[in-house]
Amino acid sequence: MDLLRIVDALDAELVHGPDGWEKINIETVFASDLMSDVLMSERDDMLLVTSLSSEQSIRSAGIVGSEAVIVANGKTVTEGMIELAADQDVALFRARFPKYDLCVLLGRLLGT
Amino acid sequence: MSEERAQPLQSSLRVQELIYGLRISEVMTSKVFAVSRNCTMRDVQTIMKNNSITGVPVVDNKRVVGIVTMNDLMNALERGSMEESVIQWMVGEVQTLAEDMPLSFAISAFGKFPFRQFPVVNKKNELTGILTFRNINHALIRELSRQLRDMEQRHEHPPEPNSLTLSKVYQLSRYDFENGGKASSEIKKFLKSRGVPPKVIRRVAVASYELEINLVAHSNGGMLGFDITEDRVKISSHDRGPGIEDIEKAMTQGFSTANEWIRSQGFGAGMGLPNVKRVSDEFAIESAMGMGTMVKSIISLKPEKEHED
Repeated sequence: MDLLRIVDALDAELVHGPDGWEKINIETVFASDLMSDVLMSERDDMLLVTSLSSEQSIRSAGIVGSEAVIVANGKTVTEGMIELAADQDVALFRARFPKYDLCVLLGRLLGT
Repeated sequence: MSEERAQPLQSSLRVQELIYGLRISEVMTSKVFAVSRNCTMRDVQTIMKNNSITGVPVVDNKRVVGIVTMNDLMNALERGSMEESVIQWMVGEVQTLAEDMPLSFAISAFGKFPFRQFPVVNKKNELTGILTFRNINHALIRELSRQLRDMEQRHEHPPEPNSLTLSKVYQLSRYDFENGGKASSEIKKFLKSRGVPPKVIRRVAVASYELEINLVAHSNGGMLGFDITEDRVKISSHDRGPGIEDIEKAMTQGFSTANEWIRSQGFGAGMGLPNVKRVSDEFAIESAMGMGTMVKSIISLKPEKEHED
């Protein structure tokens, strides 16, 4: 599913998006604040949903090849995170909903 | 660069960069002069004088039980006790080094202990050599010349512009989470630019990032080296301690010594080392308390190794 459709449904605000981010294909979602777990993932076309608003979240996404990150709970996104997102070609969003609510919405949207 | 503040730790790290990969056994003096318990201080004096050395291990059945240094000899001389047994004057609590340890551990040992030489022992705890600063200097000069020769050769035969060959070392400091990850990002970009398949890049990036995080979260600082050829990526992580008490535990998923702060950074779940092993085709770890930890991860770039994914 296109990233644009997903972020619209989640009412997430774009913080940084590389050219053509709207068309990034998302097949699975990984929701975690533990980057150790994120680094164990083997999935492709993955969206990362996290409440950990830090540079490590962006790095971890970049490392496992995830092209989109949504920071939950309306947390503040730092300059460093935005710079890193640009450097790593990661689309970065902020959503006011808590992580659980985002997951429920995503489940309905992508549900089997 | 900000890291140019000439701190002793930084410079010792640069030394380590030069010699990383060397084992103590390749550098030590194998011809050791040792004495037995029933020798006198006079015997030691003769040995030191005839061979221009400053420390003589005392052995019992090849096991090191003490060491007599120039200092002990001068004390005995001052008291006129040169005919007494070495037992009276030697230092009994000897710090030894294992011959198969990486040389970087020995450099940490020289920084940590006041000794000027370390007896080296094999797996059976038998004396096989002695390591002094002089050995390290020689190893350094040897490595410097070798690297200079390599550089000259590279200058004469520059690698193809799109070659996969790369050799690079990054330094990381304790708790510097801001920079933890830079090396992995750079290497990832390099491999991508050379057309390495994304799944393989991910494995390299995961191994390298986990090791970077380990260096900043758990070590007193260290370095991460990459040695890339057409066939494989070799990642080596060397740190300055504190060392891992129980490697088997550290390799168990979920075991972690991380503090709250590390956890607040999204790490410390006890998955790091097992995850490095998971993505590696070859994996090795060595550690010594107070000296450091060395991890080696090799990831093959040959397509046939990919079927595991």
